[in-house]
Amino acid sequence: MSQVAESSHAPTSTGIDHKKLIMWLFLASDCMFFGTLISTHLIYRKLYPTGFTDAEGHQHFVQRLFDIELTSFSTFILLMSSFLMALAVSAMHKGQIKSFRRNVLGVIIFGLIFLGCQVYEFTHFYHMGLTIQNSVFGSTFYVLTGTHGTHVAIGVLWLILLYFYSFTGKLGGHVGALDVEVAGLYWHFVDIVWIIIFTVVYLIEYLGPNGFWGTGLPIAK
Amino acid sequence: MSHDTHHAPVASKLDLAPERSDLGLLRPDRSTGLMDWLTTVDHKKIGILYGAFAMFFFLLGGVEALAIRTQLARPDNDFVTARMYNQLFTMHGTTMIFLGVMPLSAAFFNFLVPLQIGARDVAFPRLNAFSLWTFVAGSFVLNASWLFEFGHLAGWFKDFAWYKSLVYTDFAPANGWFSYAPLSGTFGQADAALHAPRFTGVGTDFWIIGIQILGVASLAASFNFICTIVNMRAKGMTMMRLPVFTWMTLVTSFLIILAFPAITVALIQLMFDRQFGANFFNPSAGGQPILWQHLFWIFGHPEVYILVLPAMGIVSEILPTFSGKSLFGYPIIVFSGAVIGFLGFAVWSHHMFTTGLGAVPTAAFALLTMAIAVPTGVKIFNWLGTIWGGRIRFTPPMVLALGFIWMFMCGGFSGVMHSSAPADSQQQDSYFVIAHFHYVLLGGVLLGLMAGLYFWFPKIFGRMPKASVAYVASGMVILGFNLAFGPMHYLGLAGMPRRTHTYHAGNGWETWNFVATIGAFILGIGVFLAFANLVWTAFKGEKCASDPWDGRTLEWSLPSPVPEYNFARSPIISARDAYIEHKHGGHKIGYENDGGEAGVHMPSQSWMPMLASFGFLIIGMGMPMMAMSVPHAGWMVIAGVGILFTGIWLWALEGPGGYMLKTPTGSASPSPVSATTSTH
Amino acid sequence: MFSRFFHRVGILVLPFLGLLMTACSRADLEVRQSTLDPKGPVAQVQYDVFMDTVYLVIVLFVLVGGLLVYAVARFRSRPGEVVKPKLEEGHGNPLVEIGLITASIGALVFIAIPTLSAIWYTDDVPQEAVATSKLSAWYPRVDASGKENYAKEVADQVLEIDVIGKQWWFRFEYPQLGLTSDAKRTVPNEIYIPRGKAVRINLRSEDVIHSFWIPKIAGKVDLIPGRKNYMWIQGDEVGHYYGQCAEFCGDSHAYMLFRCEVVEPEVFAQWVKAQKTDAVPVVAGSKAEKGKALFAAKTCAMCHNISGHFGAGNFGPDLTHIASRKSLAGAWLDNRDPKAQLALELKEKNTEASMPVDSAQLKANLIKWIGSSGVAHGADGKPTADVKPGNRMHYYKMFNVVGLRESHQKFTDEELDALAEYLLTLK
Repeated sequence: MSQVAESSHAPTSTGIDHKKLIMWLFLASDCMFFGTLISTHLIYRKLYPTGFTDAEGHQHFVQRLFDIELTSFSTFILLMSSFLMALAVSAMHKGQIKSFRRNVLGVIIFGLIFLGCQVYEFTHFYHMGLTIQNSVFGSTFYVLTGTHGTHVAIGVLWLILLYFYSFTGKLGGHVGALDVEVAGLYWHFVDIVWIIIFTVVYLIEYLGPNGFWGTGLPIAK
Repeated sequence: MSHDTHHAPVASKLDLAPERSDLGLLRPDRSTGLMDWLTTVDHKKIGILYGAFAMFFFLLGGVEALAIRTQLARPDNDFVTARMYNQLFTMHGTTMIFLGVMPLSAAFFNFLVPLQIGARDVAFPRLNAFSLWTFVAGSFVLNASWLFEFGHLAGWFKDFAWYKSLVYTDFAPANGWFSYAPLSGTFGQADAALHAPRFTGVGTDFWIIGIQILGVASLAASFNFICTIVNMRAKGMTMMRLPVFTWMTLVTSFLIILAFPAITVALIQLMFDRQFGANFFNPSAGGQPILWQHLFWIFGHPEVYILVLPAMGIVSEILPTFSGKSLFGYPIIVFSGAVIGFLGFAVWSHHMFTTGLGAVPTAAFALLTMAIAVPTGVKIFNWLGTIWGGRIRFTPPMVLALGFIWMFMCGGFSGVMHSSAPADSQQQDSYFVIAHFHYVLLGGVLLGLMAGLYFWFPKIFGRMPKASVAYVASGMVILGFNLAFGPMHYLGLAGMPRRTHTYHAGNGWETWNFVATIGAFILGIGVFLAFANLVWTAFKGEKCASDPWDGRTLEWSLPSPVPEYNFARSPIISARDAYIEHKHGGHKIGYENDGGEAGVHMPSQSWMPMLASFGFLIIGMGMPMMAMSVPHAGWMVIAGVGILFTGIWLWALEGPGGYMLKTPTGSASPSPVSATTSTH
Repeated sequence: MFSRFFHRVGILVLPFLGLLMTACSRADLEVRQSTLDPKGPVAQVQYDVFMDTVYLVIVLFVLVGGLLVYAVARFRSRPGEVVKPKLEEGHGNPLVEIGLITASIGALVFIAIPTLSAIWYTDDVPQEAVATSKLSAWYPRVDASGKENYAKEVADQVLEIDVIGKQWWFRFEYPQLGLTSDAKRTVPNEIYIPRGKAVRINLRSEDVIHSFWIPKIAGKVDLIPGRKNYMWIQGDEVGHYYGQCAEFCGDSHAYMLFRCEVVEPEVFAQWVKAQKTDAVPVVAGSKAEKGKALFAAKTCAMCHNISGHFGAGNFGPDLTHIASRKSLAGAWLDNRDPKAQLALELKEKNTEASMPVDSAQLKANLIKWIGSSGVAHGADGKPTADVKPGNRMHYYKMFNVVGLRESHQKFTDEELDALAEYLLTLK
């Protein structure tokens, strides 16, 4: 069996492990994926600067819809989860499995808090009158942030599986560290995408009195 | 030395294979025929399966094409109804692109890339199997729409409540292969069930989910190939020593991973429009249908190069072999391939010259489109330079490769005509465009792929296809093709729009439509003959030597058929065109001291990739059935997602596995020249 | 040995043979929708640019194709010859490569320059064309009776026509001249333009994407919902031109044709005046009167406007002057005597020559169109043997949402005859 174990980290032409390389490739592809979604959102945002109209015919500006304090909080949580993820990867490289478990559990909890915030936010916006059907803004907003949320959820699921797998004792050594590092790459990427989304979807609405796209029309609530 | 078969007597398991995975589940092994093919992780077998499926779908798409041509043979014809015609051309285009050319290219990628770079397999063998089976799932979903359509026409569903409640009864997609919104989307306001009214029925839903699944397959395969090419090259196989085919695989794979996300997002948005009443492309709610076109062609134009670059790679291998000369300007051919790939992302709007882009964008895209003709022209010049001063041996692959250059050149010329936007406003959506892209994709790509099939077939099966049949078939293909598509240049200039199921007499289109139909049938028979020759050869053909063409690259140094471990010992390369140098020049191939006594490490076979793909099949069948309000279809989708995740989970847990396989003793090099073993 | 070689390579020469053969017979290029027979400045410019590309391509074809054929002939191996491969790595020849790249770029500049100039020329009405084509330059603002033909504000503008695409017909409106939907005066499927005058076309769609294409007058521009596309056209020769929707738009895309009449400016003015007149009352007691009653009873009037008779509908084509139109059903059915028409085209050597409306043909078309649209229904209750499958003339569940109620009309032969007689009176 020694050859089997050895061959899974046989030297590669570039010195980069296959798993790490394929994750980088996936992330390159995912960049284009989110790039397309974000462009769609921005194109429509520019085209229809006035936000959306709810079922009662009230016009809403997006700035008034957003709860920037909550979103800033969840952004902070997600950033901190990246920090914990880095610690978990480092612990795994040093073979400190307990430290790894502690940190990865933190990542999982922070990820779940972020998802919880997003669920709350979606429900809140829905009650404010923003639906996927009633405006282009609703469609682009929910699909973009929802897709990101799905990425986070898949990441959380992946980390939960890794967490429990670590108890079998099979997660260790070079291969184990690599597996965790690859999961970490994914997690950091999802965070970075969120920072972009937070900037161009949320923060940008707060530039100027009626947001970056605002037209100066009175806001009816 | 007897190493002509790859079956058990020669190779034996040295180490005990882990018969059970970490989960305690039994791993499949190579004991039975069917199970072997279903669970294989061997890149060569996966390549053969890709090829077999692709050839089947080529013929299916061909039958659809012949039905189209039959309908158009005469004016005011009623061979098929308008709707059936629309479904035929939609499925013809989709089938040929996604189920014909792309998987046939993938067949070559799979079979050749590890052999050409001196590797024993791809980087992720099970992911490779997953790509294959996911492609099969997607192709099944797409074509299941035909089953529903025929069921509808035959009245099978008459008594079902869901059928009676249907507003639209087109089951096979009928939007054309680029499915422009809003015809493929929605209009008006969504109702309480979140459904906005649509222009087309569930055919479009089959199309959306089918393409989505095929996209997953292509993406997974491309990640794998890039990883393999970048990371698994034999010692001494530097990037600038890679065979051109492998280079083009690399460029194509990069195009796929960067272009497919755009269509994936567009399909998600269209799906949300149709299934959940979103407004991405719904004009009555402020959605912009033009966005679909941009997203589609940002994918769609690189897609053209995804289709054509592998064929260019194949031709770049065949021409030097049969000219007895190195490829002229190897670095420039490689570089121009990369430039084509890069510029391919910057010309998408030339598909949209008639959409009122405005003068400045139109001018910019016209100039960029002209610019992309330069690297393409460079390739043709270098192929010309390759045969110049050589000694051309005429063989079926060489004749087909020369045919490729000729047809591709013609297609390129009409492409240059399209790049001039004002001229294009007359040609867009006319038969001139049909002629253009069939010259590129059929005259070009299909001839290139056929050349590749005839070139590498002896390597794949160890049997030589009959040259006489091959010549007749190639002649019929080339003749029929030009007869079918040459006149379409004229038809387009005479004002015949594409995608029209009939036309009146008196427009001056009758004669050449009839000629085109005759040509199409000759072409169809030719392609069938060419494929039949191959299938016959695979089972009954004459056995041939392992290097029948005096090949140049590493794969020819291996026995035919190639043993499952590929290289008994890993090669060490010291020159481009390693094998011809080895045979005739001063740079011998060295061999590493691996694999000898210890045996070769082989990955275990697995059911899990197929299980995960099966999840995709269930999701893909469930979603359109949800759209037709078939009861419990929603549960089917959820079950599909469950199967998919279970498959991936078990796949992760079972681990790569693996066993040691003993290779024929001491036979480091199968080549006639005794190899020097290196101890690095 | 050369014969054997040509036997093999000869097949490669075929691709352009078909094109060359057709290109040699000039007569074939003057067909109804030919792009190679331009009859207006826009189509002319597009044709000129196209010919530039053709010249370039012929030169390249001869050069590259010739070299290829020569190389294949010259460097073939002789039978029995043992080929020893040359081994030097092919780096190419830098001078050859750079030279060829430069030559390619030069060749492309040759077509890039006319392309750029044509892009700007065809984009919007050029200033010099505006000067000679503004409404006041050819269409009196106030006619002899003192009636205003158009408002003062538009006197300096060129004629504007709104083209509205629907599945599967075109509606034409002349907002400056009062021919609009709001005024219940629209023109389906036949666009009239004054000869020699630049006209601005506003392209709008009410459902899916269509494309406006009259090959002899101008290349196509798409009608895209949610976008305000425009183009300009000008017809320089009086005649009857054939156009067609060029973007796939659903079931009956192939049936979405239209016609363009290029007429002298004076004739154009008369035509506008005629379009503004109401339908004459039907003769009491005639078959037409019965037809008129059927038109209401069979719910036709819900969608079709007939000014002077019915004013409720605006969804389907306006029928006020249906009997004066040379085509029916999205121009798929020709209201002229088909044989006489083809004979005339051959005699005049010109597809723009047109026979007048043949009332027998028109009546037959009306009966065919109305009759076959309602009689044959498939298992799903939708028409199957329509002249235009999927057309909105009859029952279509989908259109419930736009307020059309299900109308499942069936007609006896007698009723069809009466309806046709009525429509024939709408000159």
